[in-house]
Amino acid sequence: MKESALYIHIPFCEHKCIYCDFYSIITKDNIGAFLSALKKEIAFYSSSCKDDLIFTTIFFGGGTPSLMEPQYISEILHALRNNFNISPNAEISLETNPGMVDSDKLKNFRATGINRISVGIQSFDEADLKFLTRIHDKEKAINTIMQAKSAGFENINLDLIFNLPGQTKEKWLSNLEAAIKLPVTHISAYSLILESGTILNKMVLDGKVKIQDEDYDADLYEQTIDFLTADGFMQYEVSNFAKPGFECKHNLAYWEYKNYIGFGPSAHSFLYGKRWKNFTSLKKYISEIETAGQAVASSEILTEEQKIEEYVMLALRSSGLNVAEFITLFGESHFKRNQDYFNTLIKANYIKKNGALLSLTPKGYAVCDEILGNIT
Amino acid sequence: MNTIRNFCIIAHIDHGKSTIADCLLGATGTVSQREAKSQLLDDMDLERERGITIKSHAIQMNYKAKDGITYTLNLIDTPGHVDFSYEVSRSLAACEGAVLVVDAAQGVEAQTISNLYLAIDAGLEIIPVLNKIDLPSAMVDVVKGQVLDLIGCKDEDILLASAKANLGINELLEAIVNKIPPPKGDPQAPLQALVFDSVFDAYRGAVAYIRIFNGTLKPNDKLRFFFNNKEIEAEEVGVLGLKKIKRNELSAGNVGYLICGVKDVHDTKVGDTITHTHGGAEHPLPGYKDVKPMVYSGLYPTNSDEFEDLRDALEKFRLNDSALIYQPETSLALGFGFRCGFLGLLHMEIVQERLFREFNQSIITTLPNVEYIVYKKNGEKIIVDNPATMPVVGDIEYVEEPFVKAQIVTPSEYVGNIMKLAVDKRGIYKNTTYIDPTRADIQYEFPLAEIIFDFYDKLKSTTRGYASFDYEYIGYQEADLVKLDILLNSEPVDALSMIVHRSKSYDWGRKVCSKLKDLIPRQLFEINIQAAIGTKVISKAVVKALRKNVLAKCYGGDISRKRKLLEKQKEGKKRMKQVGNVEIPQEAFLAVLQIDE
Repeated sequence: MKESALYIHIPFCEHKCIYCDFYSIITKDNIGAFLSALKKEIAFYSSSCKDDLIFTTIFFGGGTPSLMEPQYISEILHALRNNFNISPNAEISLETNPGMVDSDKLKNFRATGINRISVGIQSFDEADLKFLTRIHDKEKAINTIMQAKSAGFENINLDLIFNLPGQTKEKWLSNLEAAIKLPVTHISAYSLILESGTILNKMVLDGKVKIQDEDYDADLYEQTIDFLTADGFMQYEVSNFAKPGFECKHNLAYWEYKNYIGFGPSAHSFLYGKRWKNFTSLKKYISEIETAGQAVASSEILTEEQKIEEYVMLALRSSGLNVAEFITLFGESHFKRNQDYFNTLIKANYIKKNGALLSLTPKGYAVCDEILGNIT
Repeated sequence: MNTIRNFCIIAHIDHGKSTIADCLLGATGTVSQREAKSQLLDDMDLERERGITIKSHAIQMNYKAKDGITYTLNLIDTPGHVDFSYEVSRSLAACEGAVLVVDAAQGVEAQTISNLYLAIDAGLEIIPVLNKIDLPSAMVDVVKGQVLDLIGCKDEDILLASAKANLGINELLEAIVNKIPPPKGDPQAPLQALVFDSVFDAYRGAVAYIRIFNGTLKPNDKLRFFFNNKEIEAEEVGVLGLKKIKRNELSAGNVGYLICGVKDVHDTKVGDTITHTHGGAEHPLPGYKDVKPMVYSGLYPTNSDEFEDLRDALEKFRLNDSALIYQPETSLALGFGFRCGFLGLLHMEIVQERLFREFNQSIITTLPNVEYIVYKKNGEKIIVDNPATMPVVGDIEYVEEPFVKAQIVTPSEYVGNIMKLAVDKRGIYKNTTYIDPTRADIQYEFPLAEIIFDFYDKLKSTTRGYASFDYEYIGYQEADLVKLDILLNSEPVDALSMIVHRSKSYDWGRKVCSKLKDLIPRQLFEINIQAAIGTKVISKAVVKALRKNVLAKCYGGDISRKRKLLEKQKEGKKRMKQVGNVEIPQEAFLAVLQIDE
């Protein structure tokens, strides 16, 4: 049985933040139609999976999935269980924003079977939060985590963003300190990305906001890794840190090249070597599902070279490249032509070698894309 | 023969040579209005775009003059640029007269003077014409004065015209008929035909443009080239209208073409003389010269896989350009390429541009350089056309570089600026004469290497575009030259080496280092950039090691987008050139060409 993953994209938000490029809309008029389409889509793909897949993770992402009534989440989970082979121990995650859920709602989510909660805190600094146009404050952020804990969540993630304009090293450090004081098992710490099409990107292009340079970003990143690993969080991907055993299985599925099916507008899927992407617009998504049962905007069947490229890229970004497994999958020649380069990187402490596993050092994670670009 | 007139038009660039030619063709009915494309004689796109004539051509017109006689007028077009001065001299040799066109708004310029002197040296009858007299800015009297001083003719000899308004064209035709002497020569004498140009025709091979001085040439005649010693047979002869017009014979005094089964233009060398194998002339016509390249540069394919394509393109190119020479060379930085020799900078630019446009070749060029003569301590004398092959400092006794005599014509208020520029360019002042109280003609000697780089642009900007410039080669002189190497992490980048005057080496080294520092992206390892003369480092800069290059987010399942970003990055890296462990973007090689001295 191949362990696989399911993703549900909930495209609703209270408010659109200036840096975010995930698909979301701020009207909730279509929730009913969305749910009905989602259920149809789930049923549609039921038959396209062979019996060899067992789904070990479900992830509600968005948008802001916690805007949904727990009842709806329950219905979706029910539909998934009816159509797919879902492991009884599956990791079921839900993204939430602070201040948008109270204790009761969290308890109800827990009752639906959600067992991992991810809280989009981004910063504990009021000025940062204001800049990012988040609608919560520090107090709400802390309360949400504490309430999740009392609602019975043992596996809690919080998201933070660093290298914000004007963010000093001291301010970032106090964010990290605030994070580890909370009962969290997982921290995602992202360097700010300027995504094209976002308001923030335009502000930077227009010169209204100044982004700090590469060296400053590197300093903050180094600080992050040092601080979190010293506190018992293990880095298992470029931006992800977890207490042992609490790595996000869902994200690992992406990085370990497992099959996954995504439902909802703009969701991505990867099944048996084929990748596809759903239409981004909710309206288009609904109308396509109504007429065709699916809403695929584009798809590609990967060539062998593309598979190799993705495999190496995802492995190096996360836990490392298992050379033995790579050779079994793709043959020896692909590895051999890069052997000298890997040796140089090991010598320069960008990569460490542990048996058959080549994994990035903290210094290596920081320049992961440069390294990937040099691998042939 | 008495009704033939062979002439050319000489002018400074943009003074209206081509439009005057168009008017003559129109007025004689050689070209109907319908066929008239502006600037007919320049038939390459590039020429029309740049408004310059690169290769000379010829065209025959028939003109019924006021005396009732119909004359045959052969207009021989001449290249307008100093790079092609030898070709100009051969075109002039084929004529008896020259129409000197001067822009009435611009006045006498450097090329007006240099071309006029060439025409006078060739013994041609000069017909001065002031063009563009209808322009509001025309200074007819002033420019007339300049021309009178220059030629020493009479006021009434100067024709007034406007090609755009079709003014003065009939007067010009009458002057051509009346003032230019008919050709001399004997149709019965042994054949002497001067090759003044040749072009490549994909179906017929080389087409030689010839002027017959003596004798008569017919199809099927057995012929030979004097200098080439090649024996050939005339396949077809004729005259040049808008298209080739076959004739049964061409005889003394006339101008036309010859097709003789020669596959490319290298056997039909400009300046060579053709005669009959049997009963041919004893002596060739004077003035043959084997033209030698003056400027050299490495040409490399942007993508190293395309070396063979570049070779094919150069081979095809050479069929039509006997002046271009090339041979394969290897650069550690750029891979396989060619060292090419050009007549001058314009010729080099044209070759590059045409390789790109007509042969679809994307190329990197190295810094252009001149040919140096190196006298070694062991008594050896070697020619260096590539900085990479310069002997080590300890082996060199002294080095000589080519010099030119330059003529700069400028409004007198810019004389100071020009002198300052000339000092920067190691110019040696020779003389100043005044064409009229407001225009100076300044003469300098310059090392050729100093003017091939950015001299012309500098001259134009320091004189607000008013000065004009021309030069001729005068030979080699000793100079304190050094080879400046650029090293990246101690590995020399051969394609960035250059030979430079010692007084300029520090400045140059500093500028290259700083430019490279800006252009070489940060990489996993620190990059030390050094400029060195021999083992002595004279300037350095550091590109710090890359510290952060990773996309923070890779989830939501959108792996394709991430992979495509990576593929794009890899494509970019493929175009970089590798020296040691350093990747150099191609812009770095190009940027060195644009460094402001």
